[in-house]
Amino acid sequence: MSEATKKTDIPQHDVIVIGAGPAALTAAIYTTREDIGTILFERAVVGGLAAVTDKIDNYPGFPDGVDGLVLAADLQKQAERFGAVIEFGEVLAIHDEGDLKRLETTSGDMHARAVLIATGSDYKKIGVRGEQDFYAKGVHYCATCDGAFYRDKRLVVVGGGNSAVQETIFLTRFASHIDLLVRSTIKASDVLEDELQKYVKQGKVTVHLGTTTDEIVGDSANGVTKVVGTTDGKKVEFKTDGVFVFVGLMPNSQFLKKTPIRCDEIGFVLTDQHLMTSMNGVFAAGDIRSGATMQIASAAGEGATAALKIREFLEGRAHPVQN
Amino acid sequence: MVKNITIFTTNTCAYCQMVKKYLGAKGMSYEEVNLDEHPHRQAEAMALSGAMTVPVTVVTKQDDSRDIIVGYNLAKLAPAVA
Repeated sequence: MSEATKKTDIPQHDVIVIGAGPAALTAAIYTTREDIGTILFERAVVGGLAAVTDKIDNYPGFPDGVDGLVLAADLQKQAERFGAVIEFGEVLAIHDEGDLKRLETTSGDMHARAVLIATGSDYKKIGVRGEQDFYAKGVHYCATCDGAFYRDKRLVVVGGGNSAVQETIFLTRFASHIDLLVRSTIKASDVLEDELQKYVKQGKVTVHLGTTTDEIVGDSANGVTKVVGTTDGKKVEFKTDGVFVFVGLMPNSQFLKKTPIRCDEIGFVLTDQHLMTSMNGVFAAGDIRSGATMQIASAAGEGATAALKIREFLEGRAHPVQN
Repeated sequence: MVKNITIFTTNTCAYCQMVKKYLGAKGMSYEEVNLDEHPHRQAEAMALSGAMTVPVTVVTKQDDSRDIIVGYNLAKLAPAVA
């Protein structure tokens, strides 16, 4: 198959992939290797959350781990080697026009014979007082971006999963001390937890289990000065110069509000066993998909699966939409 | 018309890479201030942006007016360098 031109002013592509994270780039590697013209739209970072992760230790093939930025760059290079094109821009809506899907984008309308939604997820906010007021001025969601502003300063990290522990370990290279506030118990992998314990023993990190984060306090002159929480029903305070939040993920599906594609109650996209959404010819893979495991290796696997299902779809081996 | 562009970055910042890739794709040159290598310039980045984050992109126009873009924000970056 090759890039087609329809009798219309709207540019047409075989496949448009929305996103350029591991699922999207893996799908593009598969489609472009089969000469299926593929364009990817990325509004933020090529590589997605993987690119803003300091080190990835559980992606197969890298016995010593791999820097998130390096993995993202290599995935991009591999996809581009086979002809994938990455556009800097945003898809605003998808319209079903039968054999073609029309995508409203920041670069104008585009037609595609098939679409893959692989927009991934982003870090959730806690939703407490002070969080929005000090956004990027003491409250942060990207340690690899903003950690360097906290050399020899005290930090609070909120969260207890893999991301929170991984980024706490990363931030120890800058901060003088980190209070890790964990609502219940740590749910990170054993390897990460063991690594964290090294810093706990050094006195660089203090873990506060069963501690909620209730308020981020500061002022315009000094920025963030403390975090107020609750442990065992008692109010607790942590002096700090900044807060990093890693409390789970939310789907990047806001752009689907104008599109009749079914999502679950949180906003993750529902698919059938062929990874097709409720709109014929539109597929979803990776973190954005309802039921996804939020792992880079899984996202890559789903990207490959989606590409093969898209190929079947384009060849006319239809997958009936299951509503 | 753009006179010059300065980007404040760090080594590990993926969004900084995206700004550089975007400007590179547009064929635009820029000065990079890496705050890991020049931590004494952090205060300058903070004063310009009002935030403790990178990337901070400073686009200076021919009339010396400036657009300051915090983060990788295409909606602001694209018109600033157009």
